[in-house]
Amino acid sequence: MSLWLLFINEMKSFYKSKVMIVLWIGFPVISILLHYFQVGSEEMPVFALVGLIIASLGGTLATVILSTSIVGEKKEHVYELFLIRPVKRRNILLSKFFAVYSCLIVATVVALIFGFVIDVITSNIALSVMIKDTLKSVAISIAAMSISCSIGILIGTLSSSIALAAILSIYIGNQLSLISIMPSIFFPELDPLVFSIIVGVVATCLIWTLIILIFRRKQF
Amino acid sequence: MTENSDGAFIEFKNVSKNYKNIRALENISFMVEKGDIFGYIGPNGSGKTTTIKIIVGLIQDFEGEVLIRSKRVRKIRKDIHKILGYLPQEAGFQRWRTVSGILNTFGMLSGLPRNTLKKRIQDILELVGLEDVKNKKITHLSGGMVQKLRLAQALLHKPELLILDEPLSGLDPTSRYQVKKIIKELADEGKTIFLSSHILSDVQNIATRIGILNHGKIMKVGRPKDLQRDFKVGNDLEIIFSEGSKQCNDLDKVPGVESIEIINTNKLIAHLSPNSNIDECINTILAKILEQKCYIRNFNLLEPSLEEVYLKYVGGNIK
Repeated sequence: MSLWLLFINEMKSFYKSKVMIVLWIGFPVISILLHYFQVGSEEMPVFALVGLIIASLGGTLATVILSTSIVGEKKEHVYELFLIRPVKRRNILLSKFFAVYSCLIVATVVALIFGFVIDVITSNIALSVMIKDTLKSVAISIAAMSISCSIGILIGTLSSSIALAAILSIYIGNQLSLISIMPSIFFPELDPLVFSIIVGVVATCLIWTLIILIFRRKQF
Repeated sequence: MTENSDGAFIEFKNVSKNYKNIRALENISFMVEKGDIFGYIGPNGSGKTTTIKIIVGLIQDFEGEVLIRSKRVRKIRKDIHKILGYLPQEAGFQRWRTVSGILNTFGMLSGLPRNTLKKRIQDILELVGLEDVKNKKITHLSGGMVQKLRLAQALLHKPELLILDEPLSGLDPTSRYQVKKIIKELADEGKTIFLSSHILSDVQNIATRIGILNHGKIMKVGRPKDLQRDFKVGNDLEIIFSEGSKQCNDLDKVPGVESIEIINTNKLIAHLSPNSNIDECINTILAKILEQKCYIRNFNLLEPSLEEVYLKYVGGNIK
């Protein structure tokens, strides 16, 4: 009950935030540009590149947004009024995670569908191949962004300075999120879909275990 | 502590709390009775907020025992929100949210039914005087309005016990009057109110009992009148003479009188020695005045103000 309420609460703010509006427009534009200029190569197909860029850009933004907003809310003692009510500590953070993550997923899917439609119209590639590649890109992006969002929450939980949280998010968060993508790019024999999903789920679970343990001990 | 714990709504038993190497509370014991407006006063950093956070369950690692309605606060932490409303000293709200949006979320989290919540929010906003800004975002509110919103969320679910941490800080004089009035009305409805402040005047007109805290120790607990009486029993005698009455001499020579302070031509204060027999001393002074045929308009044993009591306990003179 409390998780759903808090999720709706966070969603109301995030989906219409300036950052999200940029992503709603920016992701499809990136997708169109990449397809238009055909920057892909045999080693890195366009779909993988779209997934990589969207996951990287969206992931960085998500990490920064989440970490700085949590530090800000900790500083302003926002959580005290939630914690004196029947709200589990972890639900405060999970609601943020799900709100930001679901907005990113929707933006990513919209961007890739955009690219897919353009490809269907303009290219000669078989439809079944395109659908498979699009789904691959979606899965890779979603897995990487799951790690990014979790790292954003972890940095926000640990840091007490907004500036430090932003710097850590940019320099560490983004790089770590790419662990789900890089191996399948450099080792083509690995199935990128399976590898991304496994790494994404495992890394997200590990980071969340750490977050819950740390946040449980926080004194408000 | 000689208080009887029967009927105690909140009871602290030998509670201590450390923050790393800092002793925030040291073995404090006191009780708050049902229906009390308990004024918890002490200078900044004396441990008031720590005490409050223990009551509301935000601090759980402390020594000693805290009981609410005779139940251990550690055990009833999950249910305590039903009877408790909390106005924190510092807590902020998410700045992008509207006033009514915040109250709606907190109302639902507190378990208020949806069908009555809207009406309840409207009533509360009218009570605290925020109905005109209900659709405004927090970022557009003044500090005083945010403080009123903190009070509104504490009252939303009609709790029996209100814990108010510096509720009057940041308010203008009119709002201070309004909030004090609300607190008195809530007490009249039978609610128990625990009210902290570092400013004595915030609590002295409304508190039915007062606890004075300094350096994490409870210095004194009692009703305001009792605190004044126990502190110093009338060691100053105010004498006001009639207009045109002649000067009265040699009062400083009366046994037991330490000194005479002349306030103006008609008024003086006789400072009596703490060890003197007050009744005997007063009679002798009176006899001396009548002997000199001076006319008295008023003769009054002065009690110390609550401010004097407070300053004495927090001013570093009490060991």
